[in-house]
Amino acid sequence: MLVPVFTLKLSHKINPRMVAIGHYDGKHPCLTCATTAGKVFIHNPHSRGTRGGRMEASMDSDLNLLNINQAVSCVTAGQMNPETKNDVLLVGTQTNVLAYDVENNSDLFYKDTPDGANAVVVGNLGSIENPVAIIGGNCSLQGYDLEGTDTYWTVTGDNVCSLCLVDFNGDNQNELVVGSEDFDIRVFREDEIISEMTETEAITSLCGMQDSRFGYALANGTVGVYDKSSRYWRIKSKNHAISIHAYDLDSDGVSELITGWSNGKIDARSDRSGEVIFKDNFAQAVAGIVEGDYRMDGTDLLICCSVDGEVRGYQPAGQEMKGNLMDTNVEQETIRELSQRKQNLLLELKNYEENQKAANMDRPSGLGELDQQQMGIIPANTQLQTTLNVNMGSESQRPHVELFIATTNETIIQAVLIFAEGIFDGESHVVHPPTATLSSSVRVPIVPPKDVPVDLHIKAFVGNKNSSQFHVFELTRQLPRFSMYSLADPKAEIPLPKSNVTLTLNERINRVVMWVNQTFLLHEDIVSEGPLNLTFLSLRGSGPLCFSMEQSGQMTIRTDDMDLAGDVIQALATFLNIEDLQSIAEFPEDMETLRQVLVKVDEFHSVRQKLTAEMADHSNLIRSLVVRAEDARLMSNMKHMRQGYMELYNLNRDLINGYKIRCNNHDELLRCLKSVNQAIQRAGRLRIGKYKTQVINSCRTAMRSNNVSLLFKIMKTGSS
Amino acid sequence: MELNLARVDYLQVGITSEKSMRLLPPSGKKEQTNKIAIADHNGVLQVFGMKNGEAQHVFKTLPGPKILRLELGGPTGGIKDRIFITSGSLVKGFSKRGKQFLDFNTNLTESIQHLYVEAADLFLCGNYVYNHYRDCQDQNYYLCGDTINDVLCLPLDPTQPVTPVLACQDRVIRVLHDSTLLYEVEVPGPPQTLCLYGNNGGEDGDEIVYGTTDGKLGLVQTSSEAPHYRWEVPNEKRNGGVLCIDNYDITSDGILDLLVGRDDGLVEIYGYDESDEPALRASQQCSESITSICGGVVSTPGYDEVVCSTYAGWVLALTTEPQHKSLGAGTQAQVDQSVHNKIGNLKKEIEEMQKRVLNEREHYQVTAQNKKAISAVPHFNINHKFVLNQEDASYTLSLEVQMAIDNVLLQSDVPIDLLDVEKNSAVVSFSACNPEEGNFLLATYRCQANTTRLELKIRSIEGQYGTLQAYVTPRLQPKTCQVVKYRIRPLSLHQRSHTSDDNRPYNTLRIVGNFSLAEMHSWVWFCLPELPERTPAGDSVQFQFVSTFLDTLLECSYKRGEAVFRSDNISTISILKDVLTKEGTRKGIRMDITYEVDEDSVAHTLNLIHPKLEYQLLLAKKVQLIDALKELQIHETDSSFMSPEYKQILEDADKLQTEFKKQPCHLERLYGMITDLYIDKFKFKGQNVKGRVPMLLEVLDDYDLNNLVDFFQASV
Repeated sequence: MLVPVFTLKLSHKINPRMVAIGHYDGKHPCLTCATTAGKVFIHNPHSRGTRGGRMEASMDSDLNLLNINQAVSCVTAGQMNPETKNDVLLVGTQTNVLAYDVENNSDLFYKDTPDGANAVVVGNLGSIENPVAIIGGNCSLQGYDLEGTDTYWTVTGDNVCSLCLVDFNGDNQNELVVGSEDFDIRVFREDEIISEMTETEAITSLCGMQDSRFGYALANGTVGVYDKSSRYWRIKSKNHAISIHAYDLDSDGVSELITGWSNGKIDARSDRSGEVIFKDNFAQAVAGIVEGDYRMDGTDLLICCSVDGEVRGYQPAGQEMKGNLMDTNVEQETIRELSQRKQNLLLELKNYEENQKAANMDRPSGLGELDQQQMGIIPANTQLQTTLNVNMGSESQRPHVELFIATTNETIIQAVLIFAEGIFDGESHVVHPPTATLSSSVRVPIVPPKDVPVDLHIKAFVGNKNSSQFHVFELTRQLPRFSMYSLADPKAEIPLPKSNVTLTLNERINRVVMWVNQTFLLHEDIVSEGPLNLTFLSLRGSGPLCFSMEQSGQMTIRTDDMDLAGDVIQALATFLNIEDLQSIAEFPEDMETLRQVLVKVDEFHSVRQKLTAEMADHSNLIRSLVVRAEDARLMSNMKHMRQGYMELYNLNRDLINGYKIRCNNHDELLRCLKSVNQAIQRAGRLRIGKYKTQVINSCRTAMRSNNVSLLFKIMKTGSS
Repeated sequence: MELNLARVDYLQVGITSEKSMRLLPPSGKKEQTNKIAIADHNGVLQVFGMKNGEAQHVFKTLPGPKILRLELGGPTGGIKDRIFITSGSLVKGFSKRGKQFLDFNTNLTESIQHLYVEAADLFLCGNYVYNHYRDCQDQNYYLCGDTINDVLCLPLDPTQPVTPVLACQDRVIRVLHDSTLLYEVEVPGPPQTLCLYGNNGGEDGDEIVYGTTDGKLGLVQTSSEAPHYRWEVPNEKRNGGVLCIDNYDITSDGILDLLVGRDDGLVEIYGYDESDEPALRASQQCSESITSICGGVVSTPGYDEVVCSTYAGWVLALTTEPQHKSLGAGTQAQVDQSVHNKIGNLKKEIEEMQKRVLNEREHYQVTAQNKKAISAVPHFNINHKFVLNQEDASYTLSLEVQMAIDNVLLQSDVPIDLLDVEKNSAVVSFSACNPEEGNFLLATYRCQANTTRLELKIRSIEGQYGTLQAYVTPRLQPKTCQVVKYRIRPLSLHQRSHTSDDNRPYNTLRIVGNFSLAEMHSWVWFCLPELPERTPAGDSVQFQFVSTFLDTLLECSYKRGEAVFRSDNISTISILKDVLTKEGTRKGIRMDITYEVDEDSVAHTLNLIHPKLEYQLLLAKKVQLIDALKELQIHETDSSFMSPEYKQILEDADKLQTEFKKQPCHLERLYGMITDLYIDKFKFKGQNVKGRVPMLLEVLDDYDLNNLVDFFQASV
């Protein structure tokens, strides 16, 4: 059994996911964690005098507290200066980011990050020469170099939750992997998205493993490993993964995925199969996992911290353990597993035998009618049929996609379980009709919240009324990406949407028709000769979606929903294998909203400045009031003193009110900035490949120079 | 002494009932090891020993009807090496070599559930009936008021009469004399299993260890007049119910230790301290319920083992023998070799079977084309339990299947809460449900691989009744699922008791009408848990209950044509009245209902709630302060300026937080009870006070007992 080589009890709480290790003097590793009350502590057991020596018994004096005075949102440490080996500490809060030189106790830079800082990572990115600190905020990614100049900027679909640097495509340069709240993992080669994977929940953690592999964790308790854009494995637990880290615990040369869970469990899983090779337990939730040579003996240890400040270090297992880190008897385990399999096979055989026996009797199993029902005997040729349809809904019901499930005879469906991720509240949806209305068919309304293709794993319990045993029919249906759109009658008068995107495809119309047949839920496949003209109605109420395509390859997509237009273009491009695509976008309403938002942003900025000035005034006033009041007290002039403190009290109240206003103002500002970033992202999604990068970068330049009209032009035409 | 136990699996048989595995005493001087005798639901009785890690059978019978019990017997004072098994109404006896010497058909109508053998005496129990045979001649008979869970007989002593002891579901151990009841011993939970203390009943041969379904253990001395309670082990960690007990000196300290097997797979070993009180020495968690437990030496002479059988039929041992031998390279290699052979054989067997299974699968698919063919899959066995926990007034539902469980669907037509259970690793997902379709809860549990047992915790609300259904789907082809149903009764949080308190103010509900005793019993059975379904014998019946949540009492006494219910909690009476009226009307029976309300009872109930409520409020307040205090502690190097109260909170922070986590929504539940009490009090006066509930909640927000009582007393 692998046991920790050291255990520490730090007397401070540790905020989850805010743990880092840094060699601030270039030599000695220091555990650095964010704690309550806006502080960061640095644990430095290797003080100058005892350099390289063993860890000391008394720990209290080894802690240095760093005041940030704001709730810390992320912490990391890393080398930013290629000339020295000293690590730089980076601390992000909702409004600022601080790069700190611990050795010299000085700020390197302190920057406003209006988009917040949800995640931070330090390292080399792409061909950028010096290491950058990349901060992920609300829809934006910003990179700073050692001097604090921003050398990198791009936008992404939603709030960034997690970041890591991985050599994704094997070009010996790091790519940036970004996990965000919209369930997507995006891979950026500098500012170009080269890959996009959709997951089933917000991505809370990412960590690079070997080569092009990386681990991920989701908010619903899933952890797994990707190699490039294909998923190796994933597992789901009822607990939540707080922190993941790659570490070679069994010394086999391949890193395992170490996961720290909310219930205090730590496990190490093989990167190939997800099999658990080691586990341990903390009394409290795990806060973070890092690695470092904490005993200064030349081996990097795995260091795990819990939220109540317990720290354990694990050494990689030696050769003699042969990769068997848990105290298990491998042979016994194998025998047990094999016996279990044998038992299962025996039971299955028994099932077939009994079935055969029952079939050979007139009265199955010699049982009466009642028993027959109880056993849930059904005709052997019973089949389960499923169809997916678009239902336009009625007054009492919203429009939805309808899954119709029916048996081929009188047997009844007792209940239906549908396991699918991302479209229900949980991972499953259950239909359990009341006993009185049990029948051989069931209609299940489904309203997928997003336009993504989903596999529906259906389990239907089929039997007779009053059965206590049912046959379980299992099958899988795929819900196509754009299932929430129904084909409109071509004759119906539908007002055309005001907005549209125009693009030119080098493809035949047939291929586009094929795509439509695949990604939309249609009664029958569309056959189109000549120019294409199709109108769909959104079941979510966002108006019609029209496609029209000429023989020349010019295609127009009309919809008032810019997100939808982007989704359509992205999906179409993937299907047709298009690498680069430019388009002309006409979204007057969205542009108008954006214009208003930009005006608001300006307002909020000016309000903020005003408030800041006011606050400075107030603090000066306070100082003088305190002095005056205290003077009065020393002079025993109680009347004046009281007066002074009364004024102080009022001023304090004003300050608090001012603070509240500032807070609200800030929240609003954040919201607006997020929507600006999203608008840029949307404009980007209307283009593919290099045109997409171009739009985003030009938009950024336009934003910086505050040139609103240029911004609109770029969004419309795709170039400046 | 540190006890190092390593798990070794011997073999797997069919599903086993409780107490259906025993160790045969070593025969002769040469043999130093015990052989294992085990019987299963396939009807197979087998006796085997272990040699070099391989099971060597002495004999194995052919499959037949399922065997529910296995006991050992022998002449008085002699070696107990005769094997007795029971299935249906039959009792069979085998010698240790496998020769059948007894085949006794008792002609009992109920199938025999429990069996005990002492010399020539056979003690047999069905669900309610106890029979005593001597030399296969019927001697005594006793009809029990509630289900019998276990039976044993005190060691025979020529000077004393035969004393059989029954463990009954109504929280009572019954001590008999011939065909009559000597006395009843009330124990803290429904006793599930009995065992003679020290295997011989202690010094006087009259001490019995019992284990209850809610996980408690105790020792009672059953002297001829009255019981004497010696000790009791509460179930603070909320482990599973006790299924089997044995005495064996596994710690080699010269004193017999107590071995306990529980239904959540926990095996515990208790030693005794100076005052003869049990103290936990070691424990080991297995994944399936432990149906039998025995101490002995099976595989290697000189190494004691705890041998257990599990529900799914595993025979396993927790041995003191070190598993990683360091005797030298030679022995190690030998052990490895035998194990490898075993693995190789298993793999071969599996391969062959897989072929057969594939064939059969194909065949099954082909029959599906046939229009007349049917698909009938035999029932699989589910070992399930739905028990009320006294400590936190919640129900525990445990489901266990021989195969790995794929998923479980829970459906309820009454509002209930599902609580998280630390032990279970299944991923739960709640589905949206529509109460109009009779679904108040739809939840799926998707189990991790190799889960054969699932434990869930459920909180019900008194007054809301209906059915909870669990659909269990195991991972076995052809896939089937089975449904198990549980009633959520109107007074679901009450449990049987045998004490009454005449000093409390009681509210009385009296029903007079044209109903039989059986009818009334069926209604009461419908309302309250822990009652036998069959009507008790006699002209009139009396039962006592206590609320696990509020400690209020309920007394039911009824006979033909008249029923009287007394409780100090007016809500209990109100729920009973509603349900009984409804049931009576449904059956078309005219009933006259009268009630007397004791005005003091409301204040009395509030006084009962008061300490609980006050404790919870204080706890909530303290827990709220913890974070803030901790922050202060970080800011200030010296925390001596804090008041002693705050220092105490900081010191106990962890304890407080676990306590708080243990009872989620406790406060809300108490508020709910108080609100019900308020509404019910005025309901009996014919007033509807639902409109005043917000005012009540205001009073509760600023809680003070006197104010609350005043609010209740104030007329509307």
